[in-house]
Amino acid sequence: MTVLTSQDTSPSPAGPSGSAGDGAGGRNGAGTGARRLRRIGFSALMVSPPVLVVLVFVGIPVVTGIAYALGYTGGPNEMATMLSNSVLRNNGAPTLDVFAKIFDDPLFLKGFWITITVTVVTVVVVTVLAWGIALYARLSGSRWSRILTGIAVVPMFIPVVIGAYAIRNFYLGSGFWGSVWQLLGVQMDPLSYHTSGVIIGQIWTSLPFAVLLISSGVAAVPDALIHAARDAGASMARAVWSVMVPMATVPTVIVATFTGVGVLGSFTVPFMIGATSPTMLGVQMVTTYNAYGLPQDAQAMAVVLFLMAILIGWGYVWAQARQARSSAVMN
Amino acid sequence: MTTVSAGIPSGPATVDTDGELADDTRQLTPAERRRRMLWKVLGALASAVLVLFIVGPLIWLALAAFSDQWTAPRLLPQSWTLDWWKTVLDQPELVESFWRSLQFALIATAVSAAICLPAAYALGRTKFPGRRVVLIGLFATNAFPKMGLYTSIATLFYAMNLMNTGTAIVIVQLLGTIVTMVWIPAAAFASVPPSLLEAARDAGAGPLRTFFSITLRQAIPGIAVALILAFLACFDEAQGTYLVKPGSYSTMPTMMYTLVENYPAQAAAVFAIALTIPSVLLLLAVRKYILGGHLAEGFQIK
Repeated sequence: MTVLTSQDTSPSPAGPSGSAGDGAGGRNGAGTGARRLRRIGFSALMVSPPVLVVLVFVGIPVVTGIAYALGYTGGPNEMATMLSNSVLRNNGAPTLDVFAKIFDDPLFLKGFWITITVTVVTVVVVTVLAWGIALYARLSGSRWSRILTGIAVVPMFIPVVIGAYAIRNFYLGSGFWGSVWQLLGVQMDPLSYHTSGVIIGQIWTSLPFAVLLISSGVAAVPDALIHAARDAGASMARAVWSVMVPMATVPTVIVATFTGVGVLGSFTVPFMIGATSPTMLGVQMVTTYNAYGLPQDAQAMAVVLFLMAILIGWGYVWAQARQARSSAVMN
Repeated sequence: MTTVSAGIPSGPATVDTDGELADDTRQLTPAERRRRMLWKVLGALASAVLVLFIVGPLIWLALAAFSDQWTAPRLLPQSWTLDWWKTVLDQPELVESFWRSLQFALIATAVSAAICLPAAYALGRTKFPGRRVVLIGLFATNAFPKMGLYTSIATLFYAMNLMNTGTAIVIVQLLGTIVTMVWIPAAAFASVPPSLLEAARDAGAGPLRTFFSITLRQAIPGIAVALILAFLACFDEAQGTYLVKPGSYSTMPTMMYTLVENYPAQAAAVFAIALTIPSVLLLLAVRKYILGGHLAEGFQIK
């Protein structure tokens, strides 16, 4: 997950050079207008390199990838087609045959449902867990609760490959999980190489981001509001539900969407912890692409993931719009 | 946080675990006292499970790295050894992968900085049409499920004849850093107070001088954080590298995928710990920034 900040990305319009000239620009006409244009041109020049990189290495692949899945096998897809074991070509018009093919494959269908299950369960558990930790820190304010928050952020400091490997060993029959149950004399299956282990790994890697965001959302609720609710006779649970939850909706939705998209596109956790097959689509795509030599099928799976992400991303847009509205009311 | 302190006559006379907000001034009935006690126990239990869940696997891994003999139902190794560290350091392919990871991460970070920092300056210090579109557009790279994006990129790499080259690895690692490298420095450039710039110019400093001694100097901490986070993202990148990976260019994290099959568990544990050290050290350096709530603020596009 990428780390961002923008305490104040909205800049003062005054660049380092000549704010006065800029201010007068509108009225003074040609001379300063040209200068303003030059400044805009210069900014555009400076901004263009990362934009170009993203257009070339994200924009183009996504477009050609979708085209590939719709049966356009030539052009930029020619090379991958040549290396494929089989492809489906359309005759000029886009076709959904590739999707029909993968949805006919029971292995893909299993992976599809596993992916949805893991994503939904992870999002729900991570959100609830992060809320629990945030509320505990906020309401108790004790030193221990702050230490607990710190511990919940630890996975952010560990490379995902390592975390996944550690979790796999921990939940093996010969790991901590198996050993403890064996010592207690209880017959218990290992969680590694199962979907349950994958979910554990996803929760582990997603938790830090969720805790950071929701903690800061919960911390931003003014004490006065909670006191007011309590004075009006609300129970603590009621105060949390009617005051804190609505005020921290936006960070919660952001956590849910980013966790969801992150889990959908994950490879390392299911590859390390999960069963070889069937497993999450992230792993099945790589196997399909490389081992089976079916890039087009892998591409169709990728498009399925994109569509799922759009569903999730819609939640994020909704939250942003809602936030824009609520801050407009508050100002 | 406000303190609503009041002599709490009940409960163990310890720290304020019940918290300021939950306090009330009246005497507690025994039933309420029992309920509080119950909540405390439940809280402690839940925290213990959470700590085990987060830290347990890491401790288990660390124990394995120093274990000599460790048979199944035991919770600790029977005997200890440092030999596995020597074993790993004696494997040329493992040591090589470390240096290769370092090289790729440094190259990708440098390229990312060269491409993104001017853009960050423009986005932070000037207003131009389409500025918001650029910020959100770059951010949208995060909206694609990673592995779906990487398979698409792999197809493009085949077309561009980049598959199985070092360039492919650098590009994949670079893509993961762009948002970090634009947004954080942009915020840093934007937060330089205009009054400082005016003062410098009043004192007779030219635009270049003003840029180097005021703007850049003020933005350095933000840029440093972005560089560290970008470097770590590259250094830890595994799944994209794995897909476009040339057989001969295994980086340290991609080695982990195969290592776990080919080496004894203890050697893998040692290798894993070695791979974790740079991340932990560098992230500790920027932890104040991450834990201080800046990360949370930044996720809301303004």
